[in-house]
Amino acid sequence: MVKPRRAPENLQLSFGGQWFSSYKNGHGWNWHHSPDRLILAVVYALVIMGLILMFSASGILAENWREESTYFLKRQVIAGIAGLVCLHGIAVWDYRQWHRLVPVVVGGVLVLLLLVLIPGVGHCVNGACRWFRVGGISVQPGEFAKLAVVIYLASFLARRQDRLTSFFSGLVPPLLVAGSMAGLVLLEPDMGTAVVLGLLVGGLLFLGGAPLVYLGALVVASVPVVLALILGVGYRLKRVLSFWDPWGDPMGAGYQLIQSYVALGNGGLLGVGLGNGRQKLFFLPEAHADFVLASIGEELGLLGTWLLLGLFLLLVVKGFQIAREALDPFGRYLASGVTLLIGIQVLINAGVVTGLLPTKGLTLPFVSYGGSSLVINLTAIGMLLSVARVPRQRKPPLWHYYMG
Amino acid sequence: MSRNLQTSRNIQDSGIRRQTLVSLCMLAGFVIIFGRLFYLQVLQADKMREQAARQHYKILTMDSPRGPIVDRHGKPLALTVERPSVYASPSVISNPRHVAQQLADVLQLSSASLMRRLQTTRSFVWIKRHITPEQAAQIRALALEGVGLLMEPHRQYPQGLLLSHVLGFAGVDSQGLEGLEKQYDAYLRGQAKTAILLKDAHGHAIRPMVVKQRVGPAGYTLQLTIDEMVQYIIEEALEHAMDRTRAKGGVIIVMDPKSGEILGWALRPAFDPNRPLAADPTWRRNRGVTDPYEPGSTLKVLVAAAAIEEGKVEPGTLMYAGDGQMPVSGTIIHDTHKAGWVTFAQAVERSSNIAAVKTALLLKEEGLYHYLKAFGLGERTEIDVPGESAGLLKPPRQWGSRTLASVAIGQEIGVTPIQLITAVAAVANQGWLMRPYVVRAILDAQGTMVWEQSPQVRQRPISGKTARILTTLLVNAVEKGTGKLAAIPGYQVAGKTGTAQKFDLTTGRYSTTRHISSFVGFVPASDPRIIALVIVDEPQGPAWGGRIAAPIFREVAERILQYLKVPPHVHDAPLTVAMAHHEDPVQSSLSKEQ
Repeated sequence: MVKPRRAPENLQLSFGGQWFSSYKNGHGWNWHHSPDRLILAVVYALVIMGLILMFSASGILAENWREESTYFLKRQVIAGIAGLVCLHGIAVWDYRQWHRLVPVVVGGVLVLLLLVLIPGVGHCVNGACRWFRVGGISVQPGEFAKLAVVIYLASFLARRQDRLTSFFSGLVPPLLVAGSMAGLVLLEPDMGTAVVLGLLVGGLLFLGGAPLVYLGALVVASVPVVLALILGVGYRLKRVLSFWDPWGDPMGAGYQLIQSYVALGNGGLLGVGLGNGRQKLFFLPEAHADFVLASIGEELGLLGTWLLLGLFLLLVVKGFQIAREALDPFGRYLASGVTLLIGIQVLINAGVVTGLLPTKGLTLPFVSYGGSSLVINLTAIGMLLSVARVPRQRKPPLWHYYMG
Repeated sequence: MSRNLQTSRNIQDSGIRRQTLVSLCMLAGFVIIFGRLFYLQVLQADKMREQAARQHYKILTMDSPRGPIVDRHGKPLALTVERPSVYASPSVISNPRHVAQQLADVLQLSSASLMRRLQTTRSFVWIKRHITPEQAAQIRALALEGVGLLMEPHRQYPQGLLLSHVLGFAGVDSQGLEGLEKQYDAYLRGQAKTAILLKDAHGHAIRPMVVKQRVGPAGYTLQLTIDEMVQYIIEEALEHAMDRTRAKGGVIIVMDPKSGEILGWALRPAFDPNRPLAADPTWRRNRGVTDPYEPGSTLKVLVAAAAIEEGKVEPGTLMYAGDGQMPVSGTIIHDTHKAGWVTFAQAVERSSNIAAVKTALLLKEEGLYHYLKAFGLGERTEIDVPGESAGLLKPPRQWGSRTLASVAIGQEIGVTPIQLITAVAAVANQGWLMRPYVVRAILDAQGTMVWEQSPQVRQRPISGKTARILTTLLVNAVEKGTGKLAAIPGYQVAGKTGTAQKFDLTTGRYSTTRHISSFVGFVPASDPRIIALVIVDEPQGPAWGGRIAAPIFREVAERILQYLKVPPHVHDAPLTVAMAHHEDPVQSSLSKEQ
């Protein structure tokens, strides 16, 4: 019987260690020298596919709006390069260093979220103040908040694993931190990001072992909040209603969803061919951003959407495997958090595009236009790769826990 | 320690279980999305494709240019040219007030009504069709948001008033509305061109715009029997006559008596078919076919023809025209001059009413009616111009005691100008009554003949002999009688004047002040090339046909003869000789068979 390699029982997390020290120093970890190749391949494939498809979906809009068909492509390529640099940088960096940076990350993101709300500092589009504009580059702090919540909760869960059952020390701190972020994001307003933050907190607390009573109470408590938010703002109620019956108001609230259906249906099994999509001719709003999946569905058909979502599924499965095999709880929660982050965004975005969920402003990771989103998601994958670089524990397969 | 380990083990196991649960949830989420995509992209695909086709493609139907109408020599009378039209896309106009104001200034339209049109949510409205190139340039210079120009086919009548009543006019969408434009619309109208355009959500066409195109051929060309030069001559003469006589209206029709081809057709008042709506609707009516009138003395030609044909009279038959008065059924028929005993030829020459009535009495009701009917009165001539009236000729059983006498002098009978000229043309055509026509041929866009009209004989009311005899009488009427002013030096004109008092509906009597003055004649008498009818409605001043209509005939016929290069007669009285040698081809062939 092969004895699984395990981290030493007395594993001490090295706060204040050298940044690239683990390789040599005495924790007994044997680092992989290169990141997980499968994840890297999947992510590169997603980024490159994303650039091509996003360009196809945005070219005409860009030409019409900026008289430069590559306007969105150029920006996305720059963000992609920056994101991949971050990915590789962070992948070779000992993820345990993030423990130290939690206060900086959380504090920094909170400050940014506050700043973006200040008129004149934040940049508003259609009444939503979500961006900083610095020298022609838009930065969306809401995207940073997603990753900050993952890092914070992973660190919190790893450090306070034994106290999670306690209400005040196990539940209140993460709720305070994540709640304040979600609250600030909601003030922008950005419902989609707030929902993702909420799901991340809930998911990670669940994974961390928080008592189900607390989680149940959290869900129950969040219902009136969500209801108040929906009923409080007219357009959200409209969106929710239109999602139930888009044909009830085909030229108004239901328009976007109907156009998404038309795009998907027009693509059919094999699609109308790359670049031949018609829906991007201003029929489908946000064809290059939130609804890029519909645009892909039109041009590449079911084959394209399944392939794309299949790559995401592969990423999610691989991410959970990395989490399961991580050597320390922080690595486990970090990997789980990153996987949740990607998975939740993909599922919500695809759910919105296919009419299973009400419309929210949420991007498809790696593919939709949006520099901040691309950089943050690639950075998150960098963390996942960093966790994966440690020699992983061999665990029995999943079914073992249910069958055995 | 072991309990601790157990707890940590439990926590770890529960952690793994929870992770498994979360990953299974996520997997389930993916499976649902996969399924949903299959449903939308495969099962719902056909329905969505329909919707997609509806919104992505725009089917544009444009008419191919309407075919031209040309005269017998190919000179254009109606043409299709490209003219700019202004349209707007109200849905993209953010400031309709400004746009409406600017457009109103350039196009001289009311800005309020423009505002109403711009405040819709439609993606396309016409602002004004067929504007001038100058206006188009101004609009282009304004560069207004959501306002564009399109070149559209536009019907143009280069000769303006010329022949407008026959041509009619076409509407803004090149649809024939009146006249030949209406009658031959199916031929003139081009086959529709359809183009399927790819459009974006704003309704703009996308390059390359045409997905599929079907180009129909352009409309057929209508070639008329009208001679533009003849038409010009009569239009000018009629215009001058109208100025001179300050008449209410006028008609000149010129025809080739041998074929029935109409060479010219002028009416006053006239309208400009380029701006048909600017004219009074009654002015647009083609009164040459629509309005019957009482022909007056010109009808005596037909009465004489009937009497000669029946053998009731000969040119030398003596008749007593009395002292200028003849009582008939309680009323009195007047002559302007006391004639006494005259020959039938002199009676025609002088246009004696009494003699005409006496002639009619010889024919009796049935006889006269039979001949008038045979000359085509009371029924349509079947001319290929729309709106023709059958005139008014009651059958004898409906005639009153006075009717026979009235009809003999051209009263109590309604004939249209085309009926009268066609009937008299039979006299010029050795008795053969032809069907008049204005469309000679239909050509396709390449100039190949698609259809051709050939002369059609309707019937032969009188023999060639009768026609010849009557022609000499009509020549005399011009040379010695009432039609002296119609005589053309060097040519023998056969013709008859007519002056009809207009029936006054208010008093129920014939007016003494309002007349229709007319002249119908053909020339050269021995071998007629043209027959012309001149009608002047309510001329001011002395209204005798001989004074008003005959000189117009003369002016017109002289110029047309010159234009047609008809050689003048060398001798003074060669008519009878020439006519003796002039064989009636039908009769001669008949006699050969016998």
